[in-house]
Amino acid sequence: MSTPAIETENLSKLIRSKPIVRDLSFRVNPGEVYALVGPNGAGKTTVIRLVAGLAFPSSGSVRMFGCDPFEKPEVRARLGAVVEAPAAFYPYLTGRANLELHARLAGSVPEKRIDEVLVLMELGHASDRRVGVYSLGMRQRLGVAAALLTRPELLILDEPASGMDPLSLHLVHHVLKRAAMEGTAVLLSTHHLDEVVAYCTRVAIMEDGALIDEVNLLDRRERYRARVSDPHSARAELDIYPWIKHVTIRADEVVFILAEPEALGRVAGVLSEVGVELYELARDTFDLRAYYLERVAAQRAENVDAALQAVGVG
Amino acid sequence: MVQLLTMEISKVLRLNSVRFGLLILVVFPLLWSYAPGIFKVYGFYLVSGFQVPALSLLSSMEFLLPLLVAIVSSELLGMEFTHGTLPTILLRPVGRSQWLLAKVLIVALFPFLILLFFLAVSMVAGLPYGYEAFVGGTGLGATGLLGDGLLAPGGAFRELLRAYGMAAFSLVPVSLLAILFTVVLKSSAGGALATMSVLVVMQLLVVFPWLEPYLLTTQLSAYITPDARMGWVVTLVALYCTAFAAVSVVLFERKDF
Repeated sequence: MSTPAIETENLSKLIRSKPIVRDLSFRVNPGEVYALVGPNGAGKTTVIRLVAGLAFPSSGSVRMFGCDPFEKPEVRARLGAVVEAPAAFYPYLTGRANLELHARLAGSVPEKRIDEVLVLMELGHASDRRVGVYSLGMRQRLGVAAALLTRPELLILDEPASGMDPLSLHLVHHVLKRAAMEGTAVLLSTHHLDEVVAYCTRVAIMEDGALIDEVNLLDRRERYRARVSDPHSARAELDIYPWIKHVTIRADEVVFILAEPEALGRVAGVLSEVGVELYELARDTFDLRAYYLERVAAQRAENVDAALQAVGVG
Repeated sequence: MVQLLTMEISKVLRLNSVRFGLLILVVFPLLWSYAPGIFKVYGFYLVSGFQVPALSLLSSMEFLLPLLVAIVSSELLGMEFTHGTLPTILLRPVGRSQWLLAKVLIVALFPFLILLFFLAVSMVAGLPYGYEAFVGGTGLGATGLLGDGLLAPGGAFRELLRAYGMAAFSLVPVSLLAILFTVVLKSSAGGALATMSVLVVMQLLVVFPWLEPYLLTTQLSAYITPDARMGWVVTLVALYCTAFAAVSVVLFERKDF
């Protein structure tokens, strides 16, 4: 297995004795898009800063491609990041001049690459304007352009789509999706749950500094439900085949995850062979927004109970 | 490092405080050169062009130049906090200390550049009085403006160069103190204000005579200090510079951004 682009172990951060991030462990592999979601103040930005090597952990560890980014800052040559929302640039310089400055700091970035990322982020027309007159969305796109400048193996983005119009939003998510398909590991924090569902691999739900759930969206996207005459027989039969990763029963349905997406056509045949009638076969759509709201609400209720118990009430 | 230094130089030139400071440094010697009521107020007349740079320096080292140096130094680092560019830069494969050292080198060089400019402008402002030998002093030597008989142009210019050089050198710890406070406070205004406050407090500390020789503010008047004390001044200023720069780098290395 390849070295994870990011690996955190029991990562915690205290600011003035207040825990901002608690005991966080996760990894992001090359080619994966890992999203941090959570309400405002959940600690997403602090996690991003800890992982990017801008803030020091109070305990636990962060490894970037197996290295400690504080001890080996040169590992950041493999990183592209936007950690400010809106992305921060010198307002008195043009968009192009800002990218040239980044290119000089990064070292060995050909001039042509600056043009490429400007065009990619649809900023070619505005490249010679001072960043001070850019709109919020343009700044954000320039931020993504700067992050992509070195063709990084790891992208870390804090709210990359904040303040963007729907078209720019689509563009940014499309660019990130493409980068992941080319093997780049992407870690982002976002509130755009609908976009996240469309292309993220895994989503970490954060609340009050802790990771309360991690959802594998890849599995969810390949999840199907079949309404059948006998769910128990259907489950027993489907469980045998290696092209089915996981099967469960939900009321009069079996819900399963395909290991091979193209194997969906075989399901009806297999069930009919054992005399199970198939009434309906459909993708089991996953409502991340509903799931997220439910998980955060449950966690909050749990936290309130714990707090009340701590003060001797309830 | 050369790359970083070049970038920092271009930033310095864009700072509003630098532009405004340069303007003031142009106006200041012109005022001394023109000064219609100089005799009425100070009881002397200017008799040589060499006295204009001297008076400009004497009247600006008390407050104007330390303030300018503190503001510019704080702003050079503070602008990265203001624009939010610091995290973005630190994400590039550049060591934190290396990046801060580039700033430290530039702000340490800044007093020399600004005083070179000030000397040049003051010399131009003094042109109406001429630069021949004159009876009197520049104001920067041991005998003040009265002098010790005829002063040759070479001798007068040497006095100016020595005084301007020493003044620039003694301003370097002010720059570095401003950097230190900006690292701590993460703000240009805070850095400059804290620096000036420390200088003001130090000026009050002269009431403790045993402390006075060690104070940073005492070294700010080193440009009119007799040559015999120069070794002490240079050593102390160098110690202040090293301490301020080292503490800045150590704190910067451990800061969360």
